[in-house]
Amino acid sequence: MTLPKFISILAKPILGLTLAVLALTAPLSLPPTQPVERYFRIEASQFAYSPGVLQVNPGDQVTIDLVATDVVHGIYIDNYELQASADPGQTARLTFTADQAGLFRFRCLVPCGQLHPFMLGKLQVGPNQLFLRAVLLSLAGLLLVLWKKPLSTISI
Amino acid sequence: MEKLAKILVVVLILLVAAVPLLGQQIIAQPETIELRARMPENGGWSQEFIYGLVNVPIKLRMTSDDVVHSFALAQSSLPSVEIFPGKFSETELVFDQPGEYTFYCTRWCGANHWRMRGTIVIEGPASSDQPTSVPPLFLQLGLDLDAPHFARVIPSNRPESARASERTNALPDGLTDGENIWSKSPEALWKDLKADEDLDDQSVWDMVAWGLNQQGSSGWMGQGRELYTQNCLACHSESGRGDGVMVRDLPPMNHDKMGSEATRPPDFSDPAVLLGASPALLEGKIIRGGMGTGMPYWGNIFTSEQIRSLVLYLYSFQMELEERP
Repeated sequence: MTLPKFISILAKPILGLTLAVLALTAPLSLPPTQPVERYFRIEASQFAYSPGVLQVNPGDQVTIDLVATDVVHGIYIDNYELQASADPGQTARLTFTADQAGLFRFRCLVPCGQLHPFMLGKLQVGPNQLFLRAVLLSLAGLLLVLWKKPLSTISI
Repeated sequence: MEKLAKILVVVLILLVAAVPLLGQQIIAQPETIELRARMPENGGWSQEFIYGLVNVPIKLRMTSDDVVHSFALAQSSLPSVEIFPGKFSETELVFDQPGEYTFYCTRWCGANHWRMRGTIVIEGPASSDQPTSVPPLFLQLGLDLDAPHFARVIPSNRPESARASERTNALPDGLTDGENIWSKSPEALWKDLKADEDLDDQSVWDMVAWGLNQQGSSGWMGQGRELYTQNCLACHSESGRGDGVMVRDLPPMNHDKMGSEATRPPDFSDPAVLLGASPALLEGKIIRGGMGTGMPYWGNIFTSEQIRSLVLYLYSFQMELEERP
């Protein structure tokens, strides 16, 4: 017995949609990491942070030393709502536990010149889930494209 | 009846003309000066000179055109006023003596931050006799601030003031005379004392530290640390090594090529540098600046008491000194 015709027509889109929904919403269970202490020394100059991307794992104890090298700069981490500002020569320190996973922006807190609004950095807590999901989604798409065998021939 | 109407019209017209004049009289307030702060590269203070009269308040309305600045009056205890871009900060100043007063920026606003200085000129009668100013010790002694001054005798351990004060009760004569201490380098004091007293080398060094320590007024260490942190640290760095964020890309200091380019400051963690410098010499360097390194001059910013605290604080890079109760 073969599948009814409407099912065989819809099978591929339905399968594709299911896979896409799965790729985007399925909980990604990654092996939990042992929390460690992480130290970053960020040098802030007009109009960038160096390093500009910080990667930590959830639960890590993070210490950030902010060093301003030209004018007064600051740091404000979104969601964590932490802030500090540093004069050149006077290091400011932030210590916190990375208890929220995800990607957060940090931005300069103190008007430091014309391009101050664009002085941004990233705090990545845990793996980049968005990227992993994008990979899964692409794989699902690839699978459907490469699967040439018509579904109507499948017999139950 | 017609005449009455004419008079009424004239009175009304006069009244209308009088309103703005009277209004101006009523709302007339002390003149407010708008002072805009900009990075020195962009022009610094919008007014380099501010003129005023004795006992007439000067109202300043300040804002910044670029980064965070701060307005402070030199040699005064008035707290500094932060100036943020897009906001106005106001302050009122009253001077009871004629003269020239320096105002300056206290927040690092660029590599040339220290150039952000201006002058308030106050005219009028002096209310009392001004104390005659004594020339600083380095001028009285005729010291050459630019000459190399490396100590040859170096203690094997850090001199400790507390160790000396525990051992004996009285300072030797050479270490109670303020002018003697201020005009001689720790190394020279050590040599004097070593010749007079029958003590081992380290004990003599401890004595020298104690003598210097006694020169501080109460609260000198906190004051010195604060001044150093706010004004010196960006170049001289926290460790005193002279590799602060503002100068770390510059070549190290070289006495032979002095003045040819801006250089890093000397390394205070090297005992030869500080132990060979007399307090008067360090005082002079702070007052005058320069030394071929590009160091700013602080003579018209700090009070002489502040400079003394700062000088003693510098020695704490080489000695264990302690705050006096």
